Amino acid sequence: MGTESPTSKPDAALNAETPFGSNEMRLDARQWLIVLAIVTVVMLLIPSLWGRIERFNPGPDYRIPYSLSKDYWLYGRRLYQVCDPNRVIMLGDSVVWGEYVLPDGTLSHFLNREAGEPNRFINAGVNGMFPLAMEGLLERYGQSLRQQRVILHCNVLWMTSPKTDLSADEEEPFNHSRLVPQFSPRIPCYRADANEQLSALVEQRVGFVSWVNHLQNVYFGQKGILNWTMENDGGSPPRCPNLWRNPLTQIKLVVPSGVRDDAKRGPKSPRHKPWSASGASKTRFDWVALESSLQWGAFQRLTGILRERGNDVLVVLGPFNEHLMTEESQRAYRKHRDGITAWLSQNQVPHLVPELLPSALYADASHPLTEGYELLAKRIYSDENFRKWLQRK
Amino acid sequence: MLFNTWPFLIFLLVVLPVFFALGKTRLWPLWMLAASYFFYGWWNPYYLTLVLYTTTLVYFVVSLMDRCPEERQKTDVLARLTRLRFDDGVMKAAFVASALAVLGFAVVALAGPGTLRPMMVALGVIALLMATGALFSSRGVWLAVGAINTLAPLLFFKYARFVVENLNAVLSWLHVPAKLAEPATLMPFGFDYLLPIGISFFTFQSLSYIIDVYLGKAERERNFLRFANFVCFFPILMSGPIERAGHLLPQFRQFPAARLQNFTDGASLFLVGLFKKLVLANYLALYVDRVYENPQAFGAPALVLATVAFAWQLYFDFGGYTDMARGVAKLMGFDLVLNFNHPYLATGIGDFWRRWHISFSRWILDYIFMPLQMQWREWRALCTATALVVTFLVSGIWHGAAWTFVIWGALHGLGLALTYELERSAFYRKRVPKAVKQVCVFAFVCFTWIFFRANSLPDALMIVRRIFTAAWQDPQIPALMLASVALVWLYQCLFESKFRSVLQTRFVRVGLAVLMVLGLLLCSSGGGTFIYFQF
Repeated sequence: MGTESPTSKPDAALNAETPFGSNEMRLDARQWLIVLAIVTVVMLLIPSLWGRIERFNPGPDYRIPYSLSKDYWLYGRRLYQVCDPNRVIMLGDSVVWGEYVLPDGTLSHFLNREAGEPNRFINAGVNGMFPLAMEGLLERYGQSLRQQRVILHCNVLWMTSPKTDLSADEEEPFNHSRLVPQFSPRIPCYRADANEQLSALVEQRVGFVSWVNHLQNVYFGQKGILNWTMENDGGSPPRCPNLWRNPLTQIKLVVPSGVRDDAKRGPKSPRHKPWSASGASKTRFDWVALESSLQWGAFQRLTGILRERGNDVLVVLGPFNEHLMTEESQRAYRKHRDGITAWLSQNQVPHLVPELLPSALYADASHPLTEGYELLAKRIYSDENFRKWLQRK
Repeated sequence: MLFNTWPFLIFLLVVLPVFFALGKTRLWPLWMLAASYFFYGWWNPYYLTLVLYTTTLVYFVVSLMDRCPEERQKTDVLARLTRLRFDDGVMKAAFVASALAVLGFAVVALAGPGTLRPMMVALGVIALLMATGALFSSRGVWLAVGAINTLAPLLFFKYARFVVENLNAVLSWLHVPAKLAEPATLMPFGFDYLLPIGISFFTFQSLSYIIDVYLGKAERERNFLRFANFVCFFPILMSGPIERAGHLLPQFRQFPAARLQNFTDGASLFLVGLFKKLVLANYLALYVDRVYENPQAFGAPALVLATVAFAWQLYFDFGGYTDMARGVAKLMGFDLVLNFNHPYLATGIGDFWRRWHISFSRWILDYIFMPLQMQWREWRALCTATALVVTFLVSGIWHGAAWTFVIWGALHGLGLALTYELERSAFYRKRVPKAVKQVCVFAFVCFTWIFFRANSLPDALMIVRRIFTAAWQDPQIPALMLASVALVWLYQCLFESKFRSVLQTRFVRVGLAVLMVLGLLLCSSGGGTFIYFQF
């Protein structure tokens, strides 16, 4: 850019060579290469070695505990562990997981009982999941799910309003936001900043980052390691029990098994009661049309992903609690149900639409109670199409 | 856009290759400028107008200043006013244009919408100042015009609310039934009254350029693009270091040589900065925030340790930012000045300021302290002390419009004034053990940080009181936090000792770099903005 006069030299004092810094961390190219090589090896090796070192022995009726539902690395490991041509993997949200019931009150448990085999049906549901997140979960962490028999549950609850469909314009916080599509299709109610969105993409794609997340979830109370040292007990005055603890001693190399006796779930819990017991009146839903529903779009793509991987997918639709709906909502629901089954038939996806359960067996709009699951399992297992699907090679 | 975010990484991955690809063309300064504006506009595109305003105004003011004679000459002001008889056609054009602008702004202020009135008045005053500068054709007047215009946005956005609140309190105390309007009501087009990030830094940099050209220390930059890059070079735009025209502008005159060492040095600086911010500063913030948000709930040890932790948090936060800024600039081939040099190993308060925020310390030394010292040289013994106190009062006010910052600045000014002679004495330099001096200076600096960090003046005073009166109970600070600070301190002590060579070994360098990268992957706690962005 042109020539300059001699007076334009830098200020004498400042012109003296600028010091590099106030430390000796000045690496040359070779040293940088060594650093990158070491870090790459650590990042590639540790997560895969960890799976061999860390004990993870889920018993029968195991489901990913609620507290670990955001440990996607563990979910991937669980799927890898249970993949077996003789097993049926049950995918879905809290309906499959069993929001109001104990592990021995879930759909997979009763299907196993019907089949007379304790581990034929695997509960791979995740609490708080929904199709938009499930798509990301299986795309990134469900790579091992190939050539498997899969039951995919379709819960129309996610289309009952723009809010649950995540298509509302108002900002709305929701679970598993790091799994949903970050940029396309656009989720109007998701307003994370660009940094958050990009870091979610990095977490999905870099196994080491998911593994760090696993450590935090399993050993550090879902906190970062440094935050864990400052964790307080919530008492008055608050005490911090971890101040002088060595974080490394927390890593016990054992994944805790699921909670067998959860006070919030199961027949003895106060939540385990029919939806009508609390005097709730009938509900009118603001259904989102299938063609514009983000969740239905995600469900369609999810079915495609599973089938592309050679899985034999059976979709179970509902049974949604029609007792809870106003007549107008029931009509809209049936239209949705018919639309979904039409799409499934058109795409030759085997599917079942179980008969509506008695009103007293629902805890809310979509979750059955223990007896509801039991009845549902009986109905599904006795369905001729289901038996054919189960037996086909 | 923050250095420690993914969007910045993408930004850099786009900017750097294009920058080097354009190296052999005349387009690289334009690309650099576009990148800088994008970087700043990412936060709030509206406030880009402020950067543009400062850049354009300073460029033209200095151009006009440069046309004025070095020696003061007698001018016939009346002839210029009445008959437009100017020796210099450019100055005449500047006068006419400014005078017309004054008229234009006055008309809009009187006849236009009410919401625009305050802005039109402000612009009218600026145009009037420009007309005055042209009328007198004096370098001194142009210096004043440039300084006032450059400082005006900073004063408005940073201090107007503080001044209005305090004046209203005084009026209320005097039972005067008048109240000054909130500065937010003066914003045009319904814009929010927010402190633009980095305004202090680009204002100070521009101001130093005007003064340096006036004093003949720097030559006027004739290339507008190059000058615009100097004002808003993106690595330094948000939080410095505050560069001088004499150091940075010459580096922009030709495309920097692309050398591998620039990349490795830049990456080294960036890694250290990122580690300081994401691991150390953010970790210390957990403890500092907990104690300082509710100081009455904590005993004396916790308050002392939180203050020490804040001292290090601020160093890691701001020092980390500077390291990253220097690293990014180095990747492009540019050198930025060193801004921190182990400040907590200082052996005197003066020494502390030669190690802490060095670019700012040099700025206030050159542009406030020295002129004051010259001005008051007849006061002899009192001259330096008074100049120091005033300089650091200004420094305190620069940091923020709050009484806590004023007291922080005053304490440093007084500390410097009182120890100025002591630090120069042979006894202090030779007889007092270095460690004792370091501990005393660190204790003093930490004491002043209480005022810097406290949420309000009553909070700060309460913390000071509680440090001496509250019970000595478990401070509840994590051992890992103490160990981290102790290790950094140890590293710095080694660096300044005869054992420095240990740190230069390949094993130590590579080992520490691996630990830092893994530390970032395992322990970094979120992003978080930088403390100095608020200044």
